[in-house]
Amino acid sequence: MNEAAGAKPTRSLGSILRSRPFLAFAVVALVWIVAGFTMRGFGAYGHLRYLIELSAVIGLVAAGQTFVVVTGGIDLSVGAIITVSAVGLPLFTWQADPTGLSAIVATLAMASAIGLVNGAGVAFLRVHPMIMTLAMATFLQGLLIIIAGGSAVSVQNELVQWLGNARPAGIPAGILLWLVISAATLWVMHATPFGARLFALGANPIAAQLSGVPVIATTIAVYAVCGFTSGLAGVLLLGMNGQGYVGIGDPYLLTSIAAVVLGGTSILGGSGTYAGTIPGAILLVTITALITVVNASPGWRSILFGALILALLLLSGREAARR
Amino acid sequence: MPLLAARDVSKAFFGNPVLRGVSIVLMPGRIHALLGENGAGKSTLINLLSGALPADGGAIEINGKAIAHMSPGEAQKAGIAVVQQELSLTGSLSIAENIGLGAYPRRFGLIDYPALAAGAKAVCERVGLNEPLSTPVGQLSLGRRQMVEIAKALYREPRVLILDEPTSSLSAAETKTLIGLLGELRRDGVAILYISHRLNEVMAIAEHVTVLKDGVRTADQPLAGTDAAGLVRLMVGRDPGDLFPHWQPATERTAVLTVTGFSAGMVRGVDLTVKAGEVLGIGGLVGQGQEELLLGLYGALPAKAASATVGDARELPRNVPKANAAGIAYIPADRKREGLHLIHSILTNIMLPTFSRVPALKPRSRSSERRTAEQLARRFTIKGDLARPAQALSGGNQQKVALAKWMPQDPAVLLLNDPTRGVDVETKREIYIMLRDLAAAGKAVVLLSSDTPELVHLCDRVVVLREGRISALIERQDLSEEAIVSAAVGVEPQKAAA
Repeated sequence: MNEAAGAKPTRSLGSILRSRPFLAFAVVALVWIVAGFTMRGFGAYGHLRYLIELSAVIGLVAAGQTFVVVTGGIDLSVGAIITVSAVGLPLFTWQADPTGLSAIVATLAMASAIGLVNGAGVAFLRVHPMIMTLAMATFLQGLLIIIAGGSAVSVQNELVQWLGNARPAGIPAGILLWLVISAATLWVMHATPFGARLFALGANPIAAQLSGVPVIATTIAVYAVCGFTSGLAGVLLLGMNGQGYVGIGDPYLLTSIAAVVLGGTSILGGSGTYAGTIPGAILLVTITALITVVNASPGWRSILFGALILALLLLSGREAARR
Repeated sequence: MPLLAARDVSKAFFGNPVLRGVSIVLMPGRIHALLGENGAGKSTLINLLSGALPADGGAIEINGKAIAHMSPGEAQKAGIAVVQQELSLTGSLSIAENIGLGAYPRRFGLIDYPALAAGAKAVCERVGLNEPLSTPVGQLSLGRRQMVEIAKALYREPRVLILDEPTSSLSAAETKTLIGLLGELRRDGVAILYISHRLNEVMAIAEHVTVLKDGVRTADQPLAGTDAAGLVRLMVGRDPGDLFPHWQPATERTAVLTVTGFSAGMVRGVDLTVKAGEVLGIGGLVGQGQEELLLGLYGALPAKAASATVGDARELPRNVPKANAAGIAYIPADRKREGLHLIHSILTNIMLPTFSRVPALKPRSRSSERRTAEQLARRFTIKGDLARPAQALSGGNQQKVALAKWMPQDPAVLLLNDPTRGVDVETKREIYIMLRDLAAAGKAVVLLSSDTPELVHLCDRVVVLREGRISALIERQDLSEEAIVSAAVGVEPQKAAA
């Protein structure tokens, strides 16, 4: 027996100050303040609002990714699902529906179905999540080349354009969408039995199974949710961008995982919160914005971005050793 | 001269003293028993003696020379080997590779496999391991793995051998082999420190005993002339009374679970009836299919049956949620790996089976969760703040959590897999009382146990498994350790002279 006792996790002010979501928010605030004073135009309200609008896309993908990672899995097909949604949506256009809502619903259903297949592969066939979702990504990329070829498709859908450009009450619709999804994600994770099952599954799958957690249904559900939020991100991205093209979702694979881990969610599963992923997403967009200012070629910017993510992850503390 | 000694050592974790001024002297050619309840500081003392942890105060002496900061490497060089309670084997490596791990014979910078095989073969023969040396350890039963662990220690030709609860997962035959082996080592002049909760075993083999209670040494004396009751008193600091509660066998018993022609894993063609209000024991040597029987009934292992009645259902549960819905609960043997979520709070652990069954998106009520958990913690005397992670609890308290978490489901059948393994005497008694109380409340309790006295004193009936089949069903009036052991090894019990 180990007589050593862990620290008492009481909800004191100190423990909140030391919590990962708070720390991540503090880092974002610090970077914004320093950059705001040193760089012209960075601190302008419009610019900061734009950064959060960009973060919304990462935030949506990372919401699904957080669900998956908490259960001890990983979804490497989110980039491909975003692309499929952004390129596929214009294909779902029906004359009978001038609002464009049906196209969005059809796109999200397709994205969720892709996630469902991911989940079924992981749960029933017991394929490792990395292999399953990577294979799915490759499959989707092939499909895209056949359907879309190399050309970009422009969006005609009014609702999608509204989502990408409208500002009800001065707040971009994308940010409002992110707020709604964030609230739902936090509620499901921390206030429902389903959320408790996710953490149990991630912390100890054997004990979870023996405690009656419906492992297969839960696994399929999280990958379907991840497909859904990735599809939502694809729709939003299409609206903001005006057109969809093959490769549009690629940057969001690494950033969604980085946002989850930066926010303090264990990559091994079993602990964490979406409350940390939110500042993680904002931090990543901020870094991208800062790098863009640096006068360097796209190649060097990418190298810098990759190196910075790695450095941030190392700084944010490595996974505590598990027995 | 003592081979290894601790003089006045102290150790604290996070300000909690775990050992306070404890001394122990290990002499060559002597089997020294270390007794104490869970949390008494035994494991910590072993960690200090083997260099795994530094002492806060006091000194460790090897051959009479004080060592300031002994590292595990120095301890190994001094010939100190530890057989841990928690097995330290690598499942995917072979028996031979595990035995040699960290001390591989080298040849031209590569592992000398022939030399390793020869060395491993020699120690395996000594401990009675006759499996092929290339067998991956992950395929062995818990008892056999324990023997590999012991072989691994022997391979290092120790001068001091420390064994932490070595027999908790061993069968009677393996225990006998081990005890014989310890006798040989003693004659060779090895100093042996032996930790066990099984007093009879300790009384049989050890010559000297040290007792710890709450981090303080309460006895250090030759064993000759002391009795078991006296030792228990020293461990728990009070009169032990009877370890087993007194109970009345249930009068009216209706079957709640019936299977015929049941097969799962190595279990073949088992007919079994479990009745409400009884404790049904499952005995036998380690690894005769007992665990597969429980897991098959629980839907956690593919199983078949010619006919099955489980609660209202006419078929075996196909998965765990279905088993739970049919009123079956399972408490695993390996509570750290299978029973609990160590990094999660005690409250979350207690509530998990409930979370698994209520509608997925029904809002949680923190206050009612807290009330339920607090009630159960009181009822099962689980000590500690419910918000703390389960890994902060002692083994006995962890076991109580693993049992308590099923209570909100009000299961009709409780399947328990060796619930008192590695649990201290006092908690054992508490668990015994809980099990009889549950039976008295009309539950059917199925108790798989490697501890034969438990089966004799706690069960209404005992089923003994041998090679996957039922070799005997012993009713209460015929229950005795001899009857169970005879059925387990497959000999006719000697009838008392008529």
